[in-house]
Amino acid sequence: MSAIIEVKNLSFGYTPQNTILKDISFEIKAGTFLAIAGPNGAGKSTLLNLLCGALKPKSGTIKIDAAPIESYKSEALAGKVAVVRQEFVPVFGFSVIETVLMARTPYFGTFGFENKTDKQIVTEALEATDTAQFALRPLGSLSGGERQRVFIARALAANSPVLLLDEPTSFLDLKHQVGIYDLLKNAQLEKGKTIVAITHDINMAAQYCDEILLLGANSSYHIGQAKDVFSPEQIEKVFGVRTFVGSLGREKFFIPLGKFAKDSGQITDKHI
Amino acid sequence: MNKWWWLLLIITCWTAAGLAIFDRRQTQDCGDTPLATRADRIVSLAPNLTEILFALGLEKEIVRVTLDSDYPPAAAKKPKAGTFWQPNIEAIIATRPNLIVTLAFEQQKNLAERLKRINYNCLTVNIEKVNDLFEAIETIGEATGNKLEANELVTNIRDNLDKLSALVGTEDKVRVLWVVQREPLRVAGHNTFINEMLELAGGENAIGPTLHKYPPIGAEQVIVCGADVIIEPSMQQKDLKEQQKNANQYWNKFENLPAVANERVYVIPGDTVSRLGPRLYEGTETIARCLRPELFEN
Amino acid sequence: MKELLTPKKLIFRVVSALLVLVAVMLVCSLIGTESISLKAVFNGPGTQTANPDYQIFVEFRLPRIILACLVGAALACSGVVFQALLRNPLADPYILGISSGAGLGAIIAVICGFNWTVWGRSPIAVFAFAGALGTVWLVWFIGRMAGRFHVTGLLLAGVVVNAFFSAVIMFLTSIAKSQQVYSTIFWLMGNMTEEDFLVLWIGSGCVIGGIIALFYISPQLNALSFGEEDARSMGVNIAGTQIIAFAIAAAITAVAVSLSGLIGFVGLLVPHAVRLVFGPDHRQLLPLSGIVGAIFLVIADTLARIIIAPAQLPVGVVTAILGGPFFLVLLVKYSRKVSWLK
Repeated sequence: MSAIIEVKNLSFGYTPQNTILKDISFEIKAGTFLAIAGPNGAGKSTLLNLLCGALKPKSGTIKIDAAPIESYKSEALAGKVAVVRQEFVPVFGFSVIETVLMARTPYFGTFGFENKTDKQIVTEALEATDTAQFALRPLGSLSGGERQRVFIARALAANSPVLLLDEPTSFLDLKHQVGIYDLLKNAQLEKGKTIVAITHDINMAAQYCDEILLLGANSSYHIGQAKDVFSPEQIEKVFGVRTFVGSLGREKFFIPLGKFAKDSGQITDKHI
Repeated sequence: MNKWWWLLLIITCWTAAGLAIFDRRQTQDCGDTPLATRADRIVSLAPNLTEILFALGLEKEIVRVTLDSDYPPAAAKKPKAGTFWQPNIEAIIATRPNLIVTLAFEQQKNLAERLKRINYNCLTVNIEKVNDLFEAIETIGEATGNKLEANELVTNIRDNLDKLSALVGTEDKVRVLWVVQREPLRVAGHNTFINEMLELAGGENAIGPTLHKYPPIGAEQVIVCGADVIIEPSMQQKDLKEQQKNANQYWNKFENLPAVANERVYVIPGDTVSRLGPRLYEGTETIARCLRPELFEN
Repeated sequence: MKELLTPKKLIFRVVSALLVLVAVMLVCSLIGTESISLKAVFNGPGTQTANPDYQIFVEFRLPRIILACLVGAALACSGVVFQALLRNPLADPYILGISSGAGLGAIIAVICGFNWTVWGRSPIAVFAFAGALGTVWLVWFIGRMAGRFHVTGLLLAGVVVNAFFSAVIMFLTSIAKSQQVYSTIFWLMGNMTEEDFLVLWIGSGCVIGGIIALFYISPQLNALSFGEEDARSMGVNIAGTQIIAFAIAAAITAVAVSLSGLIGFVGLLVPHAVRLVFGPDHRQLLPLSGIVGAIFLVIADTLARIIIAPAQLPVGVVTAILGGPFFLVLLVKYSRKVSWLK
């Protein structure tokens, strides 16, 4: 499988003095589900913005589908990379279907109207995210979880090979968290999309993702499979928290141990 | 060709078409065309113009006046054509006038231009000084075919004014503060026809030369101006006694002014002195009576 | 509307609205301080004293009504665009300094007492136009210093420039001669005067062309409502769209303001009213707002002409008095549809 995103020696800082990301290189192969994890301020959202072209790197290159990201015009880039950010309600009351339809903007006809293919893609996206029943309701009348699904539907409707998501489940309840990860995994397996999701939930990341990119402070990073990247030592080093790593069959789970964790005395170094 | 170029093309063609069709219409400044026939449907767009027309004996020929043309009383009964500030064009056209008399103020100038463009006979006069008034009367007289009456009127006013000047003499000029508005305090400055009237009536302006014609002044300047007489023209004709009382009360705080000390604050009816028209002499005489009452005892 | 917008629906609505506009124009052109009859108008010009009805209709009522259409459409559409660009439902065409810039230009022209004319037009319009565009450029320039296309920076720059220029206007007004003061205030309150046809022709070309150009970028404006980052990921060229939208909206507003002074409320209320009834999709909002703006201003101007006849109210007064309650009624009726009122 070829690498659909190639990052070489990427450096970036918002001001000339401090650099958030220093000399980062990695590859994301097409059709993988990558999670980006790490403490606050490590630069996860920054990296996402760099990958979708919203920010320009100070040095280093980013290649999307073997072409440098600068060489893409905005419409072409939108066809390659779709982004889902933190959920957001616009001031004007667009309906769900109008919102999802906007992803097809680069493909509209001369006078700005969608055609049959666009409508079909949108319908499929709505059904995949189980939001078809809200199609005509204004965005503001939905709950947070429903809105998040709508934005994912919009990203799916763009029909791009890559999907970037910034903490897609941060405000959602358990059912919707699982629902969204299931949806993303489906998109990866059935449609071959490449999914890159920033998440704070290392349990979900380990359960669903093929690879993890762990960003630490001072641009330290590790990329690899969950079992390698999420070792107790790594987690403690990057997050600064003692963690119990357990396994249930092939699933790994992680329990952070704070000061008040019960029975933590029972957990010896053998377990951790 | 994509939609943007089409749009640009259409706009360019549209503009060119417009220039081709309409460009010949302007730039014809007709000026004041001399009348072929006698003007018998006259519209007057200012109160002093109305007074002049009446004084020239053209009462029957006047078809429209402005709302504020209230003298002579017959004028107030004439049909209206808007106000001096906002003449009503439709009303003017509807009466099919063959002469429209306007002043040279900005709003009226635009109106005059527009009317001239559609071939209406428009006469514009400028009446800002006393000499302007005489010229205007002559011009209007000529335009309406009433030259004789115009000459007579002008001579009449001039004679009366000369007599008055002789009476008051050139010495003992009385210092006058002419108050147009009390709050904020505005007075008539040097560059006004009011100043001219004052000088004809034997007075001089208590205020020095100013940038504005009707400058707002502060209390300090009032105190140092040393006015012998304060005159306030009143815009309302009724309750002059009441207004006089109010004025006296107001000015009492300037007790150091000779005008206040000698109780020479006068509230006079405004329309003969605020409007530069045929009643110029009446207005000036009223002022003279305030300034030099002793001359009029007999 | 609940259903999705289709080209057919859009064309139907636009055509119906245009028919309403034409009907309103016709009715209002027959209303005025002098009653004229349509038959008399059709008798043609005749010699100038023979048919005053025709003259009143063609030389005065018609140009004025056409001007009202133009200005109403320009202000409403530019209101739509500024609300989209600034993502702020309280935006109106004057928010970025156009009003004070135009006012400053106008009062400078009045004070300097220029007597020359451009194509028979008084220099006030030209100066107002230049003032408006110059100020917009200034605000854009200052706003950019706050960082690329930062919306808040633009808004703040607009507020600052408006405040400063308003102060200058007040200063100039205080030292102006009284007649000039009257002229300025009259201009600032917004008024319709009868323009000559060349000006109307070219003005309408600019305004209608501008509205069509804005229609072309309506899908991008839709996307921009979600924020710049989101719009970028939907393939919208942010910089290009913003510059084009801003420039065109500013230009048509400058044209409107230079011809008719400052008429408020149209640019703020009409987009809201149309959005409440028809939804926020700009492909529909833009043309319909333009037409509704035109209808609104024609009616307002007609009322301004006849309410206190023979004097005339400034149109800005009528739009304010009409606009407020009208909008309130709409708001109450359709408030369920507006998400930000939840």
